Amino acid sequence: MGKFVQLVVDGLSTGSVYGAIALAIVLVNQATGLINFAQGGMAVLSTYVAWWLTTHDVPLILAILVSILFSLALGAVVERWLMRRFERGDPDTAVVVTIGLLTLITGICGWLFTYNNQQFPSLFSLDTVSFLGVSISIRSIGTTVVIVVAMLLLQGLFVGTKLGLALRAVAINPQSAAFSGLPVGRLLMVGWGLAAALGAVAGALVAPQLTLTPGMLDSTLVYALAAVILGGLTSPIGVVVAAWIIGILENLAAVYVPFIGFDLKVAVPFILIFVVLIVRPQGLFGRKVVVRV
Amino acid sequence: MATPSTSTASSVWQRPWVRWAGPLLLVVVLAVMPLVLSEFANQTIARIGVYAVAVLGLNVVMGYTGQVSLGQIFFLGFGAYVTAYGVSNDWNIVLVFALACLAPAVAGLLVALAAARLGGLAIAMVTVALPIVGVPLAKRLSDFTGGSQGMSARFAEAPEGSGLYDDQWQLYIVLIIAGVVFLLTRNLVRGKYGRAFAIVKGNENVASSMGISPYRYKVLAFTIASLIGGVSGFLYMLVIQYTSPETMTFGHSISLLAAMVIGGAGSIVGSILGGAYYVLVPQLTNEVDPSLTALLQGALLLAVLFVLPGGLVSLPRALTRGRRPRAGRGSAAPPTTPSSTTGSGTAAEEPETERQGHA
Repeated sequence: MGKFVQLVVDGLSTGSVYGAIALAIVLVNQATGLINFAQGGMAVLSTYVAWWLTTHDVPLILAILVSILFSLALGAVVERWLMRRFERGDPDTAVVVTIGLLTLITGICGWLFTYNNQQFPSLFSLDTVSFLGVSISIRSIGTTVVIVVAMLLLQGLFVGTKLGLALRAVAINPQSAAFSGLPVGRLLMVGWGLAAALGAVAGALVAPQLTLTPGMLDSTLVYALAAVILGGLTSPIGVVVAAWIIGILENLAAVYVPFIGFDLKVAVPFILIFVVLIVRPQGLFGRKVVVRV
Repeated sequence: MATPSTSTASSVWQRPWVRWAGPLLLVVVLAVMPLVLSEFANQTIARIGVYAVAVLGLNVVMGYTGQVSLGQIFFLGFGAYVTAYGVSNDWNIVLVFALACLAPAVAGLLVALAAARLGGLAIAMVTVALPIVGVPLAKRLSDFTGGSQGMSARFAEAPEGSGLYDDQWQLYIVLIIAGVVFLLTRNLVRGKYGRAFAIVKGNENVASSMGISPYRYKVLAFTIASLIGGVSGFLYMLVIQYTSPETMTFGHSISLLAAMVIGGAGSIVGSILGGAYYVLVPQLTNEVDPSLTALLQGALLLAVLFVLPGGLVSLPRALTRGRRPRAGRGSAAPPTTPSSTTGSGTAAEEPETERQGHA
């Protein structure tokens, strides 16, 4: 039983990381209608910035904050100078652009920081706490809490502030938003920046566990995309819940289903997707999209 | 290939003997080439052939049908493993070839049946899992795949009486199989199915209102792409004679997609150029600095998308047209911003029209 609870808590923490990347993908998709395959890659680059700062004797928490600011700028720059040209065009071309961006960023990381694994210091201690006879790692709890707080802050921004209102207006109908005087271009930059910042938080939290490499978040991206499919592109909450479900299920399957084990647990979300697709093609929480010809 | 469709209204190209002479000349050149070139050149061309077929398969589902697939390399790897397993068990080589085509096709059909249910970009999101699940799966099923060490199989020694070297014999087999696949695919995409694919790519709602089921044609395109991927896997085993889980990593899948876009999406000749890009450019960058390969590839992919959305195959046309300033340049800003209300309709269609390069 103790092992089970421990697995669930660890699953929640990895699920939170998937959820953060998935939420970033949904944010971008809501605003611009495209899927950013470079979301994980951008987060890795930000994590490298934080790592580089820590190797130059900058305190870890400060380094992470700087990397978050860096990713805000990175997201805005990518939107303005790269994606703007392809938004509202053919979505397939835009997807290929983000894949090109992923390759480019991976290449930049590998070129600047080599492809070797780098040790990233952990924000939380590696100890465990005992709770009702079950030992739970502090890092798992910390990761989950930080990401949930980041998501709540983001939600607060979207619901409670004027900037959030403008961002939502752009996401719902960019044309009308432009007509009512909103600077659509700049708001899109903010949206991309926020998504990238959320990714940077996730990257810094998961880096100690995965060790930092240019391809660190490639498989996380796959989990995040699985969460996006399961949760449905239209539902931010659904995506996060789906990410948690995936995180917990893959952890349990790795331990309790002998054939899957730790190496094949990446298949778990896709088995789940196949089952869900047959039952609910629009995703667990998504709405059915009706298109007018 | 020798009769460029870009030359407008020059009647010379329409005379029957010229139309036949071009392909004939090509066949003669391809038949003589293996005999005169060096071993290294032959092997390089054979590898280009392998990847040209793989890119062609990707083109069927992505270039012609508009469904982004990030899993094509999985079917190449699958085909290679089936071939290696069959050869190491001394099965008949024709049977091995048939299995190397059919097994990936069936796998592709199963994936597509589920993935195509999701509209839009979901196929991209599902197929990204194929290489990422495929690598640990290949390691796990070590009874069939040899685990991390991989499998090697040699089955294309030149026959005794032919007087050919192994590399020449292999190149001939690659040229024949690849030629047949290219010819069949060309006929497919120019015929009834190709038109259906084009409509599904253009507008799914129009397609279904015309009685063309987008779901069915997406599944069909994906299955054909998987089958061609299996063929390329067979050729891969023939030429490289070794496969391991590394064959189908995520990075290779992305490289394949980059090769397709850089060569030219939705183009037969573009597939060959893509295969050449896939083989030759890493060779060049490796000589400069191996750690720069990914960076250069990403930069090149983005540059092509910016400057030449039709890929290398559209270069001659872009050059002949390039005297005047291009219409697409001015309307780079999204039509949503108030400043670019003029020509906003054409801005979205511009990449579409430029990608029609059926060469």
